[in-house]
Amino acid sequence: MLKSLEETIALINEGKVLHIAADDTLLRKLPKGKWIGGTTPYFISEDGGVFSKDRLFVNVIDQAEDVRIAVYGKYNIFQIVEECYDNGLTMLIMPFGSAVAMKYAREAPDVEELLMHPVIGWIAGADLDDGGEIRVYDGSSGESYTDKAVVLYIKLPEGKSAMINMINIFSDDKTDPVIRFYDNELNVTRCSVNGQDVSFAEYIGKKGFDAKMPLVADYNGSYINTSIKEVGDGKVSFYAPVFKDIEYRFAVPVEDYAVEFKKQIDAAGARNPVISFNCILNYLYCGLNGKKTPPYTGPVTFGEVAYQLMNQTLVYYEILG
Amino acid sequence: MEDNIRGKLEKILRGELKYTSMNLAFNMLITKLKKKVQADPGSMDACMKEMEEFLSKYTIVAKVDLANIAAL
Repeated sequence: MLKSLEETIALINEGKVLHIAADDTLLRKLPKGKWIGGTTPYFISEDGGVFSKDRLFVNVIDQAEDVRIAVYGKYNIFQIVEECYDNGLTMLIMPFGSAVAMKYAREAPDVEELLMHPVIGWIAGADLDDGGEIRVYDGSSGESYTDKAVVLYIKLPEGKSAMINMINIFSDDKTDPVIRFYDNELNVTRCSVNGQDVSFAEYIGKKGFDAKMPLVADYNGSYINTSIKEVGDGKVSFYAPVFKDIEYRFAVPVEDYAVEFKKQIDAAGARNPVISFNCILNYLYCGLNGKKTPPYTGPVTFGEVAYQLMNQTLVYYEILG
Repeated sequence: MEDNIRGKLEKILRGELKYTSMNLAFNMLITKLKKKVQADPGSMDACMKEMEEFLSKYTIVAKVDLANIAAL
């Protein structure tokens, strides 16, 4: 929940294990302790969506039997599958646009064992209007980074398991053309549409570009979005990579984002999500400022990680058992 | 793992049976293993081993899936 700087410092000094999201001007004032953090000034609180640079979103991790904090760069980020607790949860935060986030986005789906260990996380960002520092914090050392991932390993008691899930307002239309890409890429020039090689930018141009509509891939009934960032100069860039050997279609248009979002929240039926990370694009397009999304609260993020990087999604975890 | 469930899981990986879980990780795993089996049908045993490891590691989460798959 949202806390003042003084309340957050008190929790750190009590020795609580914390996940903290806030503007950089606040995070840099926190003392050392058992916490990780990342920058964002957008939140979904119990009272609704809010933009704030004077409060911090703080989650107390109280189901942990043990915790460890680690920092990784692009060359060793996938050590997380080796170094995590056998029965636990890995929570990671990466700065938007950093090399480590790019590497994770592109390669995570191909990492052996990744699905054997629950991994949840988010991409840190900044004020969309005024900018600001994009950083992640290792509270145990007091260090912050613009180019590394901070990871909190949470060991769960025997008999408890973490289950990661997501809420996505989009689905695909199976009668729409199938789009395939030739590699795991963040920028694309060509693709195949129903088996025919085409310029993706030209295809989008003919179809009519709507930045609100992501590409959707059907992972056995779980729909995973990839949002288009920009179309120009014959090139299409994405907020998360597209992957070869995955079938994509454009999302089915949504009439009322806020209504659909509420519908999907009700359908998900999560009883007790511990933390949720909701995409900045949902915040903007669904008009979540001032709107409540119970029982989901948490930072508004610039990419969500549920094992792999996603867009325009709310991800959360529950503890079962 | 019971033969009944094993047989149905193999059918799911071959695309002969459709099953969608409430568990995101399980759906992602099915997608990944289906691709492997499609590309190389001889990889079925290795894929089933990976599937069994996943289901036995998260018994609390997998209980519902195994019951649903048995009933398919």
